[in-house]
Amino acid sequence: MIEVQGLTKRYGDTVAISDVSFSVARGEVVGFLGPNGAGKSTTMRIIAGSLGASMGTAKVGGLDVADDPRGVQRLLGYAPEVPPVYTNMSVRDYVSFAATLKGVDDVPAATKKALGRVGLDKVSHRLIEHLSKGYRQRVGLAQALVHDPKVLVLDEPTSGLDPAQRVEIRNLLAELAEGDRTVVLSTHVLGEIEAICSRVIVINRGKIVAQDELARLAAVGRKVKVEVARPGADALAALQAVPGALQVVEDEGRYIVHGDTDLREAVSAAAVPFGLLEMAGREKLEEIYLRLTSGGAS
Amino acid sequence: MTNILAIGKREFSAYMTAPIGWIILCAFVVLFSFFFVASLMFYDQASAEAVFNPYQADQLNLNDMIVVPLFGNMQIILLLAAPALAMRLIAEDRRTRAIDLLLTSPVRSSEIVLGKFLGAIGFATVLASSTLLYFGILALLGEPDPGMMLSNYVGFILLFGTLLATGLFASSLTENQVVALMVAFAIGLLFYILGWIGGSMDEGTLKTTIEYLSMVSHFEELQKGVLRLQDIVYFLTFIGFFLFATTQRVEALRWR
Repeated sequence: MIEVQGLTKRYGDTVAISDVSFSVARGEVVGFLGPNGAGKSTTMRIIAGSLGASMGTAKVGGLDVADDPRGVQRLLGYAPEVPPVYTNMSVRDYVSFAATLKGVDDVPAATKKALGRVGLDKVSHRLIEHLSKGYRQRVGLAQALVHDPKVLVLDEPTSGLDPAQRVEIRNLLAELAEGDRTVVLSTHVLGEIEAICSRVIVINRGKIVAQDELARLAAVGRKVKVEVARPGADALAALQAVPGALQVVEDEGRYIVHGDTDLREAVSAAAVPFGLLEMAGREKLEEIYLRLTSGGAS
Repeated sequence: MTNILAIGKREFSAYMTAPIGWIILCAFVVLFSFFFVASLMFYDQASAEAVFNPYQADQLNLNDMIVVPLFGNMQIILLLAAPALAMRLIAEDRRTRAIDLLLTSPVRSSEIVLGKFLGAIGFATVLASSTLLYFGILALLGEPDPGMMLSNYVGFILLFGTLLATGLFASSLTENQVVALMVAFAIGLLFYILGWIGGSMDEGTLKTTIEYLSMVSHFEELQKGVLRLQDIVYFLTFIGFFLFATTQRVEALRWR
């Protein structure tokens, strides 16, 4: 549904993104991960047709954004990080205005449906300037949804929200991701990616450093944490002798064994004589993220 | 067309719901009232003097002594009011990022520009309408020439539209409304004082060209009650040029 090929964006001598390529299938929910300034928003804006690429192509539903931006925009709903709202309008008037611009036939019905989906029914008469940040984010989502797009591109939709609001928006996103809607979502909250996304694309310093299913990105068994009942020099020596172990680090009574293959079976065998209490060999998403964005791309 | 109307309606509502619209409307009405009362007092004084001077009595004319000077004064008001009205049209959208809604919706850049211009012209019409009351009073007191009034109103709207188009272009250049206001005022003033510069020059092609480019010379013809095609074409060309330039600027914002 989304095909991005060799996308590059330069601002003078500064390269915002370089040779970015990825694709997202129909119905897929993909998380876009990366530190601030990595190029996530730039890539999303190019896909949404509000920014031109210096090189490369972005296609949505087979339509090239550069050749047919309005065709793409009919298929796509985009919610930027800063909600693009007119604060002197009421929520209903704003969403209705967005529906008109997006070419919706039955504007009142579409407005009512979008407001209901994002939970804005009760504040629809209020001016946007009087809404909290969480509600403004919902208004931003409502304008992206109002024409019932096949593709949703959401840039940090939970940015600046409190934990309760995040949970609400996360539930909403999970609901939106149902069916055959394609969703690309960028966020700093890794839990959201784990909860909603089937695949992640990691971008760092303007380049894609990884794109795969979460489970496959995790380097299973290459970093095994083990806790034993009788730690000491003998236990450390036994773990260092594990075939494939490159380094063993002691950390608050636990040992972390690093290697470049799956060490779990060998580490458990070495640890059992010392009273194996606990062992973990699967990376958390935070660890994957830090590994990929700290320069050690794999 | 739907998009132009929707954007125009939103911009018009924004003027009617934001302080800037009401401040400009109030300032306009107060200034116009001042000029109206001053013109009436002048006319009243001239009438009193005419009792003892039959030649002066023949010169008394409601159109020349009230209508024309009033619309002349309005030029000065518009030089300030139009940039103040237009400064927010695109600059504010860019500052708040609300422009992302327009740029990521299936709307042409020209529709965005025409919609915003339409909203501003709508508000300009409200301002113009507020003056009808004064000319109604004038019609009760005397017999102003309807044709002259009509051509003056046509000139007023064309001049207002020209200055608004200039202001809209200035607003597309920056996120800072004050900068937009200053740029629009500078462009408006330049085309206003061109007439003075032309007036002090020797006869020749340059003088003719400069005088043609001046807004004043075209507005003065309409003030006299002369509806000439060349004056209307001048203002419409000016409006078209700045709307086109603004469209190019919005297109550049989309793809830069």
